[in-house]
Amino acid sequence: MATIRSFILYSLILFFASCNATRVIKPLEKGEKQLSAGLGGPGIIYAGAPIPMPLTSVNYAQGVDSNVTLSVGMHTTSLAFGVLQSDVSLGIRAYQSKSERFGLTATPGIHVLYDLYENNFRTYPQLEATTWWQYSESKQHLLYGGLGTWIELFKQKAHGQVQTNELMPWITVGHQFNLERWSYLTEFKYLGFQHKTAPSVVDFVSPGGNGTIGFYFGVSRTIGK
Amino acid sequence: MRNLIIIAFLLVFSSCLRLDSFLYNPDTSIEAYGYDSYEGEVEIEVGPEYTIADSMIHPLTFQSHPSGDDKKIHAVYLGNIADIATDTIILYCHGNRDHLDFYWPRIKLLANVGGKNRYGVLAMDYRGFGLSEGPATEEGMYEDVDACMLWLKQMGLTDDRLVIYGFSLGSAPATELTANPRTLQPSKLMLESCFASDDVFVEDASGLSLPGSYFTSLQINNGDEIKKVEEPFFWIHGVDDSFIRMDTHGETVFGNYRGSYSEAHRIEGGEHGDVPTVMGYPEYLNAVYKFILR
Repeated sequence: MATIRSFILYSLILFFASCNATRVIKPLEKGEKQLSAGLGGPGIIYAGAPIPMPLTSVNYAQGVDSNVTLSVGMHTTSLAFGVLQSDVSLGIRAYQSKSERFGLTATPGIHVLYDLYENNFRTYPQLEATTWWQYSESKQHLLYGGLGTWIELFKQKAHGQVQTNELMPWITVGHQFNLERWSYLTEFKYLGFQHKTAPSVVDFVSPGGNGTIGFYFGVSRTIGK
Repeated sequence: MRNLIIIAFLLVFSSCLRLDSFLYNPDTSIEAYGYDSYEGEVEIEVGPEYTIADSMIHPLTFQSHPSGDDKKIHAVYLGNIADIATDTIILYCHGNRDHLDFYWPRIKLLANVGGKNRYGVLAMDYRGFGLSEGPATEEGMYEDVDACMLWLKQMGLTDDRLVIYGFSLGSAPATELTANPRTLQPSKLMLESCFASDDVFVEDASGLSLPGSYFTSLQINNGDEIKKVEEPFFWIHGVDDSFIRMDTHGETVFGNYRGSYSEAHRIEGGEHGDVPTVMGYPEYLNAVYKFILR
């Protein structure tokens, strides 16, 4: 029964809950402004090869001060489905080594979703911690990794069933290649590893039948300081 | 101005995509129904002992037009048409694949409940499936099944002798038209591998309490509509169903039934489309027969 149409349906559904790469890896400098665009999503096996699904989002970030960056994102794929989905987060410099090569960023945030058809509203608080390493001599490029989760606030599912998934966690590993104004991001995310995705009509990139591996690409441009 | 154009574009674009049509997987490439001579893919294979004589196979067409959207619907009746006025009839609502030929072995099986041609069986292609006209829609599907009931009523069928059987997608019209009857009130409801709602599909896939309305405008809600059903209820589901999960979809529908009698058949090793096969055809037919007799 694994038809291609069902396959697409399931894939799209999972998009929304795994929709973007890490918003703030290392906080911006005070007053620094950045525009970003992201592409990517859960990995699925298609024609024998793993491919990311093309979720898109745009993002604006600004350094509130040298330790805190405000980030606001809009999810354009969701918008195409009549769902306004936005995320707001604060990237807080929790630790930075004296050499400025290592650091830890804590990023609390919130996702809000609202559909224009039946006015259903959902909100998901998000917690994320990202550690980064400026490995190159010029301190230009970053390797990073982190942990994060969405928090499920709804205790009931459809038809009065009990919601047993209270968290939708992920593990992230990525790289950011930085030029003077442009930066390019590649990220892998293991999402929902406590959530059983197999058996399923969709052949997710799903280690042990749990969760899915997501692939993300991003490009950012500093637009002012 | 530029920003206004961008915002306007986003708002217009924002109402473009819905996944409703993804519920249906019809095949309209056939030029005629093949029944036993159909050489394409079928969901299950049944042996020659379940073959129905050509004289008992009656291709039919109806005009389905309760809401004015007139469509020609193709159906097939297995049995003696004269029996409709006096005996129990099974109205079979098929799943979301292809057309009647794909489900032909299942339809033949039901024509063997209680012995060959013991009960008449009527099955149809919803609009948009097989040779039936028009695009597949949720309301159209209900109208098309109701058009079949109208024909059965014209042939002399009464409420108390109508058994409706819904498989997979077919659980939607079967439940809807039992909970909210139009032309006839089925006296018994049988659901195989039924789904609860689009909300449950979304929850299963995302692991979150996201509503189905984020993706579809479907109003199918067997999980709630079953609460209105008072007629005896036969429920059967494959434990290993990976398409419509038994624990989240099937059990929800079964658990919400509040009528006079229900029986559940959880088939170990059963996937979505092979429950009669895994259960064993004699056992399956016997279970259906016993339910109809009670």
